[in-house]
Amino acid sequence: MTLLLGAFTIGLILALLAMGVLISFRIFSMPDITTDGSITLGAAVAAVLLVKGHNPVVATAAGAVAGAAAGALTGILHTKFKINALLAGILVMTALYSVNLNVMGRSNVPLMQHTSFATWGEQLGQKLFRAEYIDLAGWRVASGDLTLLLLSLLAATAVGVVLFLFFRTHLGTAMRATGDNAQMIRALGANVETHLILGLALSNGLVALSGALLAQYQGFADAQMGIGMIVWGLASVIIGEALTGSRSLGVTIIGAVMGSVLFRLLVAIALRWGLDPNDLKLVTAVFVFAALVLPGFAKKLRRVPSAA
Amino acid sequence: MLSIRGLRQTFNPGTVNEVRALQGVDLALADGQFVIVLGMNGSGKSTLLNAVAGTFLPDHGKIEIAGHDVTRWPEHKRARLVGRVFQNPLGGTAPNMSIAENFAMAARRGRARGLTWALSRDLMDDLRARVSTLRMGLEGRLDNAIGSLSGGQRQALTLLMATWLRPSLLLLDEHTAALDPKSADQVITLSDEIIRREKLTTLMVTHSMQQAVSLGDRIIMMHRGRVLHDIQGAEKKRLRAEDLLDRFDEVRRREQLDEPAAALLQELYV
Repeated sequence: MTLLLGAFTIGLILALLAMGVLISFRIFSMPDITTDGSITLGAAVAAVLLVKGHNPVVATAAGAVAGAAAGALTGILHTKFKINALLAGILVMTALYSVNLNVMGRSNVPLMQHTSFATWGEQLGQKLFRAEYIDLAGWRVASGDLTLLLLSLLAATAVGVVLFLFFRTHLGTAMRATGDNAQMIRALGANVETHLILGLALSNGLVALSGALLAQYQGFADAQMGIGMIVWGLASVIIGEALTGSRSLGVTIIGAVMGSVLFRLLVAIALRWGLDPNDLKLVTAVFVFAALVLPGFAKKLRRVPSAA
Repeated sequence: MLSIRGLRQTFNPGTVNEVRALQGVDLALADGQFVIVLGMNGSGKSTLLNAVAGTFLPDHGKIEIAGHDVTRWPEHKRARLVGRVFQNPLGGTAPNMSIAENFAMAARRGRARGLTWALSRDLMDDLRARVSTLRMGLEGRLDNAIGSLSGGQRQALTLLMATWLRPSLLLLDEHTAALDPKSADQVITLSDEIIRREKLTTLMVTHSMQQAVSLGDRIIMMHRGRVLHDIQGAEKKRLRAEDLLDRFDEVRRREQLDEPAAALLQELYV
């Protein structure tokens, strides 16, 4: 049960990453690999500040802002210096690897001994349930774990709602149009370059927020934790679309959250059944490949008999 | 309202693909004037429109719109003054967004976009009223993605979007060329209606002689990046499609000779 609770919690924390990837990949049609660097950057900045004894709110916010800056940098490289979008992301991601090591001062910063959201969550759990362990539908679960799950759900919901509202404002609507038809929104007086920079900042800000929270939940920040996270985000977004079958704004946001949680559960189950953790990234990549290719393939199969 | 002086533009200078698209265009449009731009392929019509819209910044010359020198303004800044409809019916709308959202963006053309609600009730009421004037039955489908509509419907909506806030200058770039004849007629009638009602200063590129003769109050014919004929006033009113075709034939005959030969003949016989 603890395993399941943990999978749910991590799934919800990574839902923030999935929503970030949703912005870059679906709204701006740009797979932004800065993600791999900015999730670690968010974790690193938050971890270092927590170790120095800063308030978890401040540390987490600082992590998110750092990620947003990294995203903005990718946007600037792409729009102002006309570097290919993918390459701009690769450059920033590569640079961030060194930045992250410099921020942390070593490759791993443990947080177990320091006050973080995780500590707060456990304390809140004690207060709410007045016991260390409680009975949940016949399962014995730690009240702290349950509280952290609820807090993650709250965070994912809040971010999802804010994102939905933002993309229904004048600015947000114009940003969506930037990905849909740049010529059109330029002719209507929007600065497409600024929108893209803003969008990537928002995307990577969410990714870094996810990283900052993940570090606090798992109790450490690590220089390697970002590897392959863009693919993880893509998998979540794609699963979400398969689950909801819709491309409308609100539903895709909910879909990304559901996709992230489901994907994490699948991974937990696979690992439980004996999948070698070393193979995890390979399996994820193959999965995303299949998810990208199969819909088109299925359409082709369906078309052949009707043509005959 | 629009003033163009000495406009020149060469694409890919110094290469085999060098194109001298505009070779000194001078043009002034009075407030409320509806000007048709004619010319063969490659004569520089679309380049002229794009230069005015700011798609590229010209090598030489000066462009003024409504008293502003916009020569160095980027495209998105000029949008404050200019409404546009493109040749491609897919060009002027965001396909995956709803009709209402597309209009919400048009309602902010060239203005600051803040964090206020895009689809306000006022906008929706206004929108239903104005879209129903198109008589296409779209007022009940404002939440549908605009990509699900036909080219003609999209072009009519783009026109309505471009003129939602009254533009100082309206640019129509062969905006009916990609439509079937019936939709083209509808969109042309609608364009004329809006331009007359709002007294919009308009530059409209077309290939249709019939449109050129029946619409607008001035025709400019472009050739090799210059304005070759400028027909306005009583002469424009008298003009028939055959007269225009004659002028095209004349251009075509001249086209058969290379430039030095044409100059020589002109010197000898004219």
